[in-house]
Amino acid sequence: MLLILARRALTAVPILFVVSLMLFVALRVLPVDPAAMSMPPSATLAEIDAMRSQMGLDRPLLEQYGIWLNQAAHGDFGQSLHLRRPVLRLVADTLPATIELAVAAMLVASALGVGGGLALFALRGRRAELAAESATTVLMSVPEFLWALLFIFVFGVLLQALPFTGRLDASLPRPDITGFLLLDAVLVGRVDVLWSALAHLVLPAAALGLAFAPPIVRVLRSSLLDVYHDDYIRQARLRGLSEGRILCRHALKNAALPMLTLMGVQFGFLFGGSLLVEVIYSYPGLGNLMVDAVRNADLPIIQMVGLTYCVLVLAINTLVDGLYVVLNPKLRRR
Amino acid sequence: MTVLRAEGLTVAMGDVPVLRDIGLSLEAGQVLGLVGESGAGKSMLGRAIARMLPAGFGVVGGALAFDGADLLAMPAARHRALLGREIAFVPQEPLTALNPVLTIGRQFGEHLKRLGIPRARDAAIAAFEAVHLRDPAGLLGRYPHQLSGGMCQRVLIAMAFAGRPKLVVADEPTTALDVTIEANIVRLMAELQRGHGTAVLFITHNLRLAARICDDIAVLYSGAVVERGRGRDVLAQPAHPYTRCLQLADPPLTGPPRALYALPETMPGLRDAMRMKGCRFAPRCPVAGDECTRGSPPMGPRAACFRTELTGGIAAPSLQTQQHGVGMDNVLEAIGLRKRFATGGLFRRGGTLAVRGADFIVRDGEFVAVVGESGSGKSTLGRLVVGLETASGGRIVLDGRDVTRGGEAARRHRVATVRMVFQDPQSALNPRRRVIDLVTQTLEARGVGRSARRERGRALLAEMGLPPDAAGRMPHQLSGGQKQRVNIARALCSLPRLLVADEIVSGLDVSVQAQLLLLLARLRREHRFALLFISHDLAVVRHLCDRVLVMRSGEIVEQGAVAEVFANPRHEYTRELLAAARGH
Amino acid sequence: MRPLRSGRVIAGAVIVAAVLMCALLAPHLAPHDPDDQNLIAQLLPPAWQVGGDADYPLGTDGLGRCVLSRLLFGARVAMEVALIASLGAALVGSLLAYVAGYLGGWADWLIGRAVDVWMSFPPVILSLILMTGLGTGVRNVIFAIVLVDWTRFCRVLRSEVIVVARRDYVSAARLSGFGHWRTVTREVVPATVPLLVTLLSLEMGIAVVVEAVLSFVGLGARADQVAWGQMIADGRQAIYQAPWALFAPVLAIFVTVAGFNLLGDGLRRTLDVRMVEGRE
Repeated sequence: MLLILARRALTAVPILFVVSLMLFVALRVLPVDPAAMSMPPSATLAEIDAMRSQMGLDRPLLEQYGIWLNQAAHGDFGQSLHLRRPVLRLVADTLPATIELAVAAMLVASALGVGGGLALFALRGRRAELAAESATTVLMSVPEFLWALLFIFVFGVLLQALPFTGRLDASLPRPDITGFLLLDAVLVGRVDVLWSALAHLVLPAAALGLAFAPPIVRVLRSSLLDVYHDDYIRQARLRGLSEGRILCRHALKNAALPMLTLMGVQFGFLFGGSLLVEVIYSYPGLGNLMVDAVRNADLPIIQMVGLTYCVLVLAINTLVDGLYVVLNPKLRRR
Repeated sequence: MTVLRAEGLTVAMGDVPVLRDIGLSLEAGQVLGLVGESGAGKSMLGRAIARMLPAGFGVVGGALAFDGADLLAMPAARHRALLGREIAFVPQEPLTALNPVLTIGRQFGEHLKRLGIPRARDAAIAAFEAVHLRDPAGLLGRYPHQLSGGMCQRVLIAMAFAGRPKLVVADEPTTALDVTIEANIVRLMAELQRGHGTAVLFITHNLRLAARICDDIAVLYSGAVVERGRGRDVLAQPAHPYTRCLQLADPPLTGPPRALYALPETMPGLRDAMRMKGCRFAPRCPVAGDECTRGSPPMGPRAACFRTELTGGIAAPSLQTQQHGVGMDNVLEAIGLRKRFATGGLFRRGGTLAVRGADFIVRDGEFVAVVGESGSGKSTLGRLVVGLETASGGRIVLDGRDVTRGGEAARRHRVATVRMVFQDPQSALNPRRRVIDLVTQTLEARGVGRSARRERGRALLAEMGLPPDAAGRMPHQLSGGQKQRVNIARALCSLPRLLVADEIVSGLDVSVQAQLLLLLARLRREHRFALLFISHDLAVVRHLCDRVLVMRSGEIVEQGAVAEVFANPRHEYTRELLAAARGH
Repeated sequence: MRPLRSGRVIAGAVIVAAVLMCALLAPHLAPHDPDDQNLIAQLLPPAWQVGGDADYPLGTDGLGRCVLSRLLFGARVAMEVALIASLGAALVGSLLAYVAGYLGGWADWLIGRAVDVWMSFPPVILSLILMTGLGTGVRNVIFAIVLVDWTRFCRVLRSEVIVVARRDYVSAARLSGFGHWRTVTREVVPATVPLLVTLLSLEMGIAVVVEAVLSFVGLGARADQVAWGQMIADGRQAIYQAPWALFAPVLAIFVTVAGFNLLGDGLRRTLDVRMVEGRE
């Protein structure tokens, strides 16, 4: 198991390498001059040129990449041009918030997806099935940022039931141990902080989770339908096993495999979707950092955040692959 | 004591009956064989017993009793309690009948627990020993995909007999298995059946197999029992013309060679059959008279037939003297042919060498068979010859020219010389193209004009015995036998010198198989081509071919004239194959 | 034609056609110039509400611009992006899929690794980065979507091509003397067209969303082009005073995407396409 994870992680390294090179090249051919941006507006052209050569921008692209790679290997990912802080620090500050949101959203999506998938499967062959299926198609047409806006309007503006900006009430002290707010609140034993953090998480996590539940519903349902066509289900019935036992012991484990693959892919998209939700809920995560950086053409941040997203996606994929092997004996080594 | 009794049982899909007025009874400790071709409805009885008819199907009349209790009317819970305990099932496809993500031990344990058998581990090991599985303790921790088909079937048989059931329903339990394994499985089932005094309902398409192992046989045609009797009698002296024709369509493996009797057309479809007033077999029956089309014949002591006394007179046409005129030139010469698959997985044992050093020739106009069991490399051999695989070593000489190494010129020579007929017409015919375009594909590749292609296509279809309107149809609008004819027509379009045919009659009903074998023999007379006939069916090979290559694990272990090899097999494996096929 | 008997296909096609008509006829249908600011009539409610003005059927936004007119002109950008970007992505993705799936070997390896690299980026992030480089504007949005979403076609279609290319009828065609080109165009491509059509329809919905997202964060259409995403961003500023200015574009996006999804879903069902599920 560990071996499989290690092997999969190893194949991710060249991908990451290529991604970082592509990011680097893509961002360096921009019509933006980082040197000019990093100087006060009053700087003279000569000063900017000096800055440019100091930043190494006058050298060939590959050499610049080599320098960047070398610095990165030593833990130096550069300074933000706009915020004038180390990029690594900025990412470290915002990453836990995004992970917290993504995990919460995935929990919501899984719960809704599995529940919905089983419910839809239970409706098979009935008249309500068509209506329920069409409903999932329609639900699939609501992207996360529309849910986010809708929730703000309904729960924030109309009902005024839940907060919809930030991660925590401004009046509360923010514990800073791991950066994962829910965990930190438990660690310092502040129930009010935990409660407020949860309340702030509900809407964004629900918006994001709701958008990603319908594909899970559909894949679970269709793979259950497939599995029920298989001989071993029929053979289990012929042995007189109860329907409940067939579903729990025989069908679900097989049907979980395609669902797992999908959820691995979905997790990648989820991080993309979290960006919008973060912007809409002013949630201080990677997404907001990224969007601000894009607006300010803050290249070191864009590069680092882009890379961070890639690392997250590759890490999730590695985990999902490992889990897949655990669940599917055919892939295990004999 | 009667274990299973069906009286007037009628199963219908909507208003179309698929089983009509079935009357059968099975006594304790007896084996009843239910024989029929595809579409006869033979699987429906097993499904009715399990109360698992396909959606839209239902029992519309009659009674079905197990051990005196009404199977159809009893509450679902009571019926389910019978399954696995009193009534057990052995499936057709052992490899897919076990859950792939659970170990054998988990699945067996689950079953034993439900049966209330204590000390499940010991009981499972004892059960596996009883079905002669090696290393039963180690087997418990294995997954189904780590087992062969034969081993899976043994596990499933052990499962079926674990609860000492009164009735075991076995639906084509050996069809998916190799011939040597089939023999073992049949022997094993007979052993357990006698040991436990179990009643067995044995559903099969194979009349010979049924006659060998069943006490009683019922023959189904178009949803009704047309003949029943003692197993031996039905095979020795069929009372119904259909049974007689089936027997004559099946090429013999022992005794003197004889010509085959090919029933014309196919069994009527369900809807067509419903509209027929008389005997449903009448349109195909060689001895049918006027009374046969007027009313349905009632079931007599043996058969449902008005003219049962004429059955014995039905005979196959006399055998044509074997003058095929095999030439002296070699159409195909294979020298030290080898094939290694780079990424393994295909053959677990002995690495990935699929073909190891094959030497053989095929002469002009000669029919050469390649026989062997699954995984023997016989299909790979055929694919090497036509060029679908590239040889890892050795040489292939086609019609005097070395085509081993690819290249455009070699490819063109191959296209002109050799053609392949694929096993599964479903996959071999593009579902989006019309029959006329499919059969003239070769001409299309050469840039022959449309009207010339159509003309040749029509002629070809007529020659294949296909109706003229087949030209405009799509493959899915054809029956299995018709598809295979189109498949053959395509290969023969440009009259190649060598045809490679991979299992082209397996999976077809005996009557359709006989039609195709007769067709091949006729085409051979008219066009003179050589055939490399890949098959697992020794009886068919004996009937059709001149010479035979016996393959095992990628090696040709014996080759020679068919009559010679079948009469005096020299290799141990050939003897084993022949013995299994003859049912010894 | 079987698809025409499916309720979903009909519903989807009707919706898509309606939105397309709005886009084409926007200059004739719109009551106002979408950029005309009426500073006296800011944040008007829709005509049917108290204080509404029949001149502005869906009210006005914070700058006094007609919401309905902006909605209609926004449809032009949305449909332009949906149609051109998805066709472009389909073209690039399917070409690579046919090459990879049919040829196999190193071509498959190379294309497979490229897809891996692309898939390790969340699409939204990748398009944001691309838009940073390309600058705003509808043409660049289209370009970015093609560059990001070709993988959707390539990934799904490649596995389908591999399945089809393994069928015996493809081998049979080769053995009949068909060249590679003829084999691919006659035997492989027709079998994958249903999947391609389905994917195309779903991709159009995705393109609408992506365009809205990019415009929402200010990296989509230029400021002088009217886009639904921009309307949402503007409407969000006045969510308390004029919720309809926010809801009109939200509803427009939802209906359009639902149209494409219903169409794609219906096609998938009626054309019996096996495919990997997944929205984004």
